Order: sequence, then C-alpha cells, then structure tokens
Amino acid sequence: MPQPTLMKRAIAELIGTFVLVFLGTGSVVTSVVFFGGVESAGLLLIGLSFGFAVMIMIYAFGHISGTHINPAVSIALWATGRFPSKDLMAYIVAQLIGAVAASLVIVAIVGTRAVDAGLGHTMPGDGVNYWQAILIEAVTTFFLVLVIWGAAVDKRASAGFAGLAIGLVVTADIIVTGPIAGASMNPARTFGPLLTETFWGTTSGWEKFPIYIIGPIVGGLLAAFVYDYVAGLKSGGDES
Amino acid sequence: MQCYVCAQSGVETVAVGVCIVCGMGLCKDHAIREDVELWEGGYPFPSTKAKKKLPRILCAECAEVLT
Ligand SMILES: [Zn+2]
Ligand SMILES: [Zn+2]
Repeated sequence: MPQPTLMKRAIAELIGTFVLVFLGTGSVVTSVVFFGGVESAGLLLIGLSFGFAVMIMIYAFGHISGTHINPAVSIALWATGRFPSKDLMAYIVAQLIGAVAASLVIVAIVGTRAVDAGLGHTMPGDGVNYWQAILIEAVTTFFLVLVIWGAAVDKRASAGFAGLAIGLVVTADIIVTGPIAGASMNPARTFGPLLTETFWGTTSGWEKFPIYIIGPIVGGLLAAFVYDYVAGLKSGGDES
Repeated sequence: MQCYVCAQSGVETVAVGVCIVCGMGLCKDHAIREDVELWEGGYPFPSTKAKKKLPRILCAECAEVLT
C-alpha cells in the first residue's frame, strides 16, 4: 500500500474543500442573515473561520490527500514537479465539487436567505477595478503559498506547525484584504457560492470569476518558484 | 548477558537481544520481534508507507501490554 488511491485522496479533497467553504463562507452568511451585516470586527471572525477550517483540515487529511483544498495550491505543487499530472484534474474537480456542495448545504440549512446574503461570494469592493482585484488575489495567494512552502514543503520546517501557520496566514490575508476583493486566494472557494447563486438566478458574478482564477494561480506559482529559489530547494523533489 | 526468562526457570541461555521497553535480556526463543511500519511524507503530500520496516525486540510481557 504505497498511499491512498486517487479516488480516496479525491474524496479527502472534496470533504476538505467542503469544510473550508462551509465554515468560511458560512461565517459570512450567518453574519449577514443573523446579525445584519459584516462590520469590521466581523471580518476577524470570518478570517478566523476560514483560517480554522484550513487548519483543521490540514491536520485531519494532510497525510491522506495532502489537503490542498485549493486548485492554486495543487497547480503550484504540480508546476514545481511535486504533484503528478495524472492526479491534478481529479483533485481540482473534487475541490470544485466540494465547494459547490458546501454552498448548497448552506442554502439547504439557512434557506434562500443565504442566497440573498450573497453566500459569501467574492467580489471586488467599491472603487476596486478588475486588475487591482487580480493583483490583490495574487499578493494574498503569494503569502499563502509561501507559507505552505516554508512551513510544510521544506523539510527543514518545524514538524507539526504547518496547519497553524497556514491557517493563520489565511486569517491575516482575509482580515486585512477581505474588503478589497474578498480575499478568496482559491478558485474553488469562489466557484462554490458562484455556481450556487446561479441556480437561484444570480449570474452577474461570472464576469468577475477570472479574477479569482488568474490572481490565485499567478500568485501561487510565483510564491512556489520564489521560495524554491530563495530556500535552494530543487524543483522536482522526491516527494510525489 | 543471559536470558531473563530462561534464568527464571533456572536455565542459563545467552541473550541475543534486549527488550526495548524493560531492558530484559532475551534468548532467541523468548525475544519477540515486531516490525514497526514507517510512514514517509505527509502534508502537503499524501503519506506513503515506507518499504522498509523498523525492527523492534520485545519480551513477552511488554509485547502483551503494547499490543
Ligand atoms: Zn530465554
Ligand atoms: Zn520487556
């Protein structure tokens, strides 16, 4: 038994992304539906919800699938020769399904009020244009992937702290840059609420979707290559 | 060193190993070898079971407690 089969690992990715989107975007939905909005203090709770979700799933499934729960992370691992091409599509599809399932379950639980509340979708804020939104997504995902590389991919990292560090970088990214463009850092996290909104007739978000594909992937790739260079890690390591 | 278990029944046998838990000297008959599986990798990579296992020598008493 070398490692769990691709199917089992894909299921772990699906569940992991489900938890991320359920707890993360769920925190936005419950803030809006039950507390009437997201104040700046609420941003802390939303940031912590996403961060906790990332952390707990890294500890729960990190050794099973690797808990990428983010296509930008899978792509960065693949591009640096650490993740096999044959697994890439299955991981991304599982992440997307998990994200959509989470948004659907939120609607099932909270009702269409959740859709009215926006399902925690990501949008550029007032006065933030398309390119600025891509830039902030690239910058925040750069931080995220840099910490994944430094705290986990690099074997010099302190064992056991990766989940905590990575959860907290997600939290920090969201607290600080959430109002700018949503601090998605994850195409799957944006896709879940987006497709689910579409089922209830809101389709305006799709024109902004490329922001949340391009930004995270570019930022993630940049971080991976920068870390490998700075830390002197050989790409194409023996990890996969 | 001699086997502790054999010595209890008055037999002197040369020990070939030592229980990793209690330090008891053990002859070939009384040493229990359990191979410990090792896992490599882990987040953000799936863990893989290493091809080689770590040998571990235990006495009967400790083996019973540990398994
Ligand atoms: Zn003996
Ligand atoms: Zn013993």
